[in-house]
Amino acid sequence: MEDEKIRILTKDNKVMTLKKLFEEKERLRKKQANLSFEEKIRALIVLQKIASSWGGKKDVIVWKL
Amino acid sequence: MKKAIIVMNELKREGLIKDYAIGGAIGALKWVEPFFTRDLDIFIILIKEPEKGEVMMLSPLYEYLKKRGYNKWVEQWIIIDDVPVEFIPAEGVSKESVENALEVEFEGIRTKVMRPEYLIALFLKAGRDKDIRKIEMLLRQTKIDMEKLKDILRRYDLLKKFKRFMKGQNGR
Repeated sequence: MEDEKIRILTKDNKVMTLKKLFEEKERLRKKQANLSFEEKIRALIVLQKIASSWGGKKDVIVWKL
Repeated sequence: MKKAIIVMNELKREGLIKDYAIGGAIGALKWVEPFFTRDLDIFIILIKEPEKGEVMMLSPLYEYLKKRGYNKWVEQWIIIDDVPVEFIPAEGVSKESVENALEVEFEGIRTKVMRPEYLIALFLKAGRDKDIRKIEMLLRQTKIDMEKLKDILRRYDLLKKFKRFMKGQNGR
């Protein structure tokens, strides 16, 4: 219920409720779920690079596509 | 990953395994948004299926890979072209998952990926927190044939566990 009351200012000065923000996130997740297998593996490799460098997880092996 | 798939297809062609399919996190990744994982789980059906209680022999596979130059291990993973791969002998629900896996192409190479209904059953069976999160993602982000899922769960005695999981979801 609170999520419907809380309003936030997002990019381009757009005001939306927290509930709407979560709905948008869920919509984006579903959209990303439809990416090709190759695109998802590319995204995974980026995540592995981030985990290895920025995240300090030196034991993470960054894959080759 | 392409190289690992090529190697898996070779193992099948050379008669070292009957069949294989990608499962685990990468199997799930086929159906949901990208997320972080470290390794590639390959479920394999061996040519000679072991009798009950008999040791599953993976050494011929490792010998073959060694001859092909893949001899680096990190913990339980064998490294194939910078991809940590784990071979998991398929039995029961995982064997059926391999047999019914979807044929797909990755970078122009044919491979097989487990279908979401089977992945849910396998994650449910494993039941760790990270497995539960993957079930949530699969249920939210891809189309699940609920009749098919329930049939699998019923046959492998996982239906009660699934109902408990769903009850927990609805309580959130």
